[in-house]
Amino acid sequence: MKKTCLAIAALALAVSLTACGEDQGTSSGGDPTTGGGGDELITVGFVAVGPEGAWRQANEQNMQDTFTKEAGFDLKYAPATNLDQKSQIDAFTSFVDEGVDVILLSATEGSGWEASLERAQEAEIPVILIDRGIEPDRTDLYVTRIAPDNVVVAKGVAEWAVSQCGDSCNYFTLEGPAGVSVVNERNTGWDEVASANPQLKKVGAQTANWSTDEAKSVFETVLKSNSNNIQIVFAQNDEMGLGAVQAVEEAGLTPGVDVKIATIDGTENALKALADGKLSFVAEYNPLFGETALDVVRKALAGEAVESYIIVPSTTFDSPEAAAAALPERKY
Amino acid sequence: MKSSASPPDHPGSTSGPGTTPTKPGAVTGWLKRLFRLPWAGAIAAIIVLLAIDLMADSSYLAVSYNSSTGHLVGNLIDIMRAAAPVLMIATGMTLVIATAGIDLSVGSVMAAAGAVSMEFLSNNQNAASASAALSALALALALGTVLGLANGLLVTAVGLQPFISTLVMMLAARGLAKVITGGQNARATSEPFRFIANGYVLGLPVVFLIALVIAASVALVCRRTALGMMIEAVGLNPRAARLAGLRSRGLILTTYVVSGLLAAIAGVFATASVMVVDVSNTGYLMEMDAILAVVIGGTSLAGGKFSLGGAAAGALLIATLDKTVLFLGVPASATPAFKAAVIIALCLLQSQRARSWLASIKASRRSRADQTEAVAA
Amino acid sequence: MTEPGPNRPIVEMKGITVEFPGVRALDDVRLELRAGEVHALMGENGAGKSTLIKALTGVYRIDAGQILLDGEPIRLSGTRDAEAHGISTVYQEINLCTNISIGENVMLGQEVRGRFGINWRKTHAAARAALELLSLTGIDTRAPLGSLSLAVQQLVAIARAVVRHSRVLILDEPTSSLDAREVANLFEVVRQLRDSGVAILFVSHFLDQVFELSDRVTVLRNGSYVGQYAITELDQMSLIAKMIGREFEAYQEIASSSVLDSQDDAAPPALATTRLTRRGAIAPTSLSFRRGEVIGLAGLLGSGRTELARLLFGADRAESGSVMVAGRKVSLSSPAAALAHKIALSSENRRDEGVIGDFTVRENIILARQARRGWARPLSRREQDELVSKYTRAFDIRPADPDRLVRFMSGGNQQKILLGRWLATEPQVLILDEPTRGIDIGAKADIQNVVRDLAASGVTVIFISSELEEVVRLADRIVVLKDHRVIAELTNGPDVSVDAIVGIIAREGQTP
Repeated sequence: MKKTCLAIAALALAVSLTACGEDQGTSSGGDPTTGGGGDELITVGFVAVGPEGAWRQANEQNMQDTFTKEAGFDLKYAPATNLDQKSQIDAFTSFVDEGVDVILLSATEGSGWEASLERAQEAEIPVILIDRGIEPDRTDLYVTRIAPDNVVVAKGVAEWAVSQCGDSCNYFTLEGPAGVSVVNERNTGWDEVASANPQLKKVGAQTANWSTDEAKSVFETVLKSNSNNIQIVFAQNDEMGLGAVQAVEEAGLTPGVDVKIATIDGTENALKALADGKLSFVAEYNPLFGETALDVVRKALAGEAVESYIIVPSTTFDSPEAAAAALPERKY
Repeated sequence: MKSSASPPDHPGSTSGPGTTPTKPGAVTGWLKRLFRLPWAGAIAAIIVLLAIDLMADSSYLAVSYNSSTGHLVGNLIDIMRAAAPVLMIATGMTLVIATAGIDLSVGSVMAAAGAVSMEFLSNNQNAASASAALSALALALALGTVLGLANGLLVTAVGLQPFISTLVMMLAARGLAKVITGGQNARATSEPFRFIANGYVLGLPVVFLIALVIAASVALVCRRTALGMMIEAVGLNPRAARLAGLRSRGLILTTYVVSGLLAAIAGVFATASVMVVDVSNTGYLMEMDAILAVVIGGTSLAGGKFSLGGAAAGALLIATLDKTVLFLGVPASATPAFKAAVIIALCLLQSQRARSWLASIKASRRSRADQTEAVAA
Repeated sequence: MTEPGPNRPIVEMKGITVEFPGVRALDDVRLELRAGEVHALMGENGAGKSTLIKALTGVYRIDAGQILLDGEPIRLSGTRDAEAHGISTVYQEINLCTNISIGENVMLGQEVRGRFGINWRKTHAAARAALELLSLTGIDTRAPLGSLSLAVQQLVAIARAVVRHSRVLILDEPTSSLDAREVANLFEVVRQLRDSGVAILFVSHFLDQVFELSDRVTVLRNGSYVGQYAITELDQMSLIAKMIGREFEAYQEIASSSVLDSQDDAAPPALATTRLTRRGAIAPTSLSFRRGEVIGLAGLLGSGRTELARLLFGADRAESGSVMVAGRKVSLSSPAAALAHKIALSSENRRDEGVIGDFTVRENIILARQARRGWARPLSRREQDELVSKYTRAFDIRPADPDRLVRFMSGGNQQKILLGRWLATEPQVLILDEPTRGIDIGAKADIQNVVRDLAASGVTVIFISSELEEVVRLADRIVVLKDHRVIAELTNGPDVSVDAIVGIIAREGQTP
């Protein structure tokens, strides 16, 4: 019994220690404005994803740069521990208990949020979904979702694939972790176009968990099992696309010629690779919508009506030249 | 009847003409010895998986020579490369488990070691030089050693349970990786560093050769010196080992340091492969692969007798399994279930209880047969 | 050998054969236990007594033969199953759980249940009642079992069988760690149980106890059945002859003639302590031990003799005081340090602190020697073989197979292997804590001879035994301990006897 208690205490200590190591951006703890009573600042709890990749880094940095003290906000940034939904729900609950004014939520997983959102609703705290949606999509539980539209972006990629395909071509999809709403949405958009264009032939799909080295390992085997007969790769994020590039080169093929790789996100690294001709198509999934979010927060607090889905406009890059042109002012 | 016809000077020969009488016995004896090895199951499972792959594609095992790159190319080569990091951490994990401990931090140490090398190279003006690559390598190994030492001290000097100590380190080391890269996925360019994971020597992937040499050296050191026996003694009966004059603390500390160092090497392998450290995903859940490899290799989690050869076989099996899942195109959502099924089947085959249960079924069948025979007689 | 009416057999074992890889441990053995008898099972170490018990309780599978319980053939699957059939076993090496409470150990599986699950208050009360039957009063049944001495743990194991109302009680060396008073207590309980109709199988190396307690005897030798006798048919000599298969002369008197004649009194003592202290273990103690001397540590269990031995070996650290080895002050901070100063200790706890069961005979023998050399300089195969064959032959370790796992060997052979381990370190001071407990007379005589030979070659031997006869027979000098301190030092001579030592222990402290 004693030992178990000790173990739990040690674990709790360990978790808090690492948490300390991670959230340099946090303003919680020791901040005199905590609690919000009587102060002018609006307290915003941001249940975030945390380190996941360059896109996420840009998005969350942009949020933190927008919701500043100067702009009249006290942003509490709570990234997930190792993309774990449990840690997000815990953070969400404590924001509700603290009584923050608004909660911004980027869910690592789409399902399982109803109970938490209902609690926030009872406490009359408006919740705004940032980027990631929830499943089932109960629009009554949140104010609005601000995101670039994954379905639209993925459709754009698929249309580009059709244009590159000719009479017939084989394609392979590198997916994010199964069950994540982004993955489902990007698949939906792609499949809508692909099903209408039978010349696009699917040879398979595997998850590479958004990661470069897994994508490399996955795709080198996929190439072998298909005797290199794959012309197009749909990588659902930049990191995996860059992994696929390495697998293609490893196999003695030329990316952009033998195998054309399209990715979604549009990070600086991906645009560099596109400028070098390694990637063939990059669809931006615009992370910089802090201003939009700020606008929505003000409106929500003022009780104004807001659309239940606000689409952030995105662009696409389909040539090395376009990428090279965009690179100098790329913030992420 | 045939045996009576065989020449009288070969009384033992019951086989047909043309075969020497001793050979079949020798071969079956050799086979029997092979099956008694703790890791025979792992080897058998690898063979079964490769056979399945071969059924899916008859050229699966083909290894060809790519004249443009000078490398050998093939699925077997890919399996070797994928096995290298697992082989490293499984080797360290075997030693730790032999002392009746466990090291849950290896995956996170991989991330931390990868992070420090990538961060160093990305900020280095001379990143392309061999000396920069060597420095990055040295930094990674030093960090792994320090983290392993911290684990070992928590266990031996502080007296925390290994599970708790290394669980703390599992969280702390990944946190450290994030601090090192500022939360980003750090990437760098350095041909010499990249060579560690992607290069070829004599047509074979250098990463596998390095891993093999290191694993073999560890095994050699354990078996050619008294280190292996001492580690086993500490794992089997720590009090008796202490009274026999063994410096248990030093031995246990050593195993955690070795485990940390080998995890750092695995981290270098994983990051050098793509020249990116993914602070959330590099080494994620790799401790589970390592523990599985150790158990598949016939080393008991209770500590004591260990088999580094078994752990190597286990690491190869895990790599083969991963690659087979991809090659067969098992749907992504079914992959974990597929892997679990294979591993459970293997563990069942190796379980003493399951084996004796099978044996007792066989025995009761035989005795029933004997009885019916007796009745018939 | 006619069967009296009420004494029907409860257990009959016929034609029992048990084989281990390469060895036939039991060959066509039989055993008959009747209600209301104490039946002794006798034989040398390795004769198959423990194997037979384990075959009966189903721990080992039998390869041939039949076990009848009340005339019905049964096949038990282990200790738990045997208990369910009313057969309880108290093993030589106590197999209770030291980390749970005494009460839980007694009542495991027999807890008193109330409306809300287990009623712990009543459970502990029942445990206390069972312990009181064994004259164990004033024990806190909620304390962990590990807080009790080995002797009391043994009685707790027996209490466990009492609680179960077992019809067959197997006692495997129950008295080896008990003192005289505790033995008397135990026998009282055993007789009560017998009179209430329980069949008791009693295994012991103490011939006196066997003759005192038993009604019948079954003798085994080398895994074979020798015979079954009424105790009245036998005397000690004829029983020993049946056990070892020849007329007995191995147990000859070992002369305690002094080998110290040629000692130079000016030479520094091999080992000396000055006010060596550890709280709760030993009061400040100053002793000195000369080369070639055999020193007996006498005293009851818990008198501080084991504690003193552990301090001398660095197994526990002294809080104050100093130790000199051959005239030089040394720090005994660990067993490794003590071994470096050529001091060796063979622990009384053979199972937990002695042999490593999953190691081979070879590994067990070379372990300490190798530890002293360090890991980097392994003993060559040839050096190992020399050591192993030397001690296998010298101590008649059977079977003489260096690659056999030690856990498959009998207690006496394990003890000899341990002795080999310590001698392989070429000690100048050898401390033996209960080296002859629970082993047969042949092995006991072997070990006593080794002690004399070592002393003759100049080794200092510190010998601890609960059997005072043994101490008196072997020692040149006897250090008597009581209540964690030295109360007397006697030079052995004609006037020193067991009674004299018992007298000293009894008198001390009564007249302050």
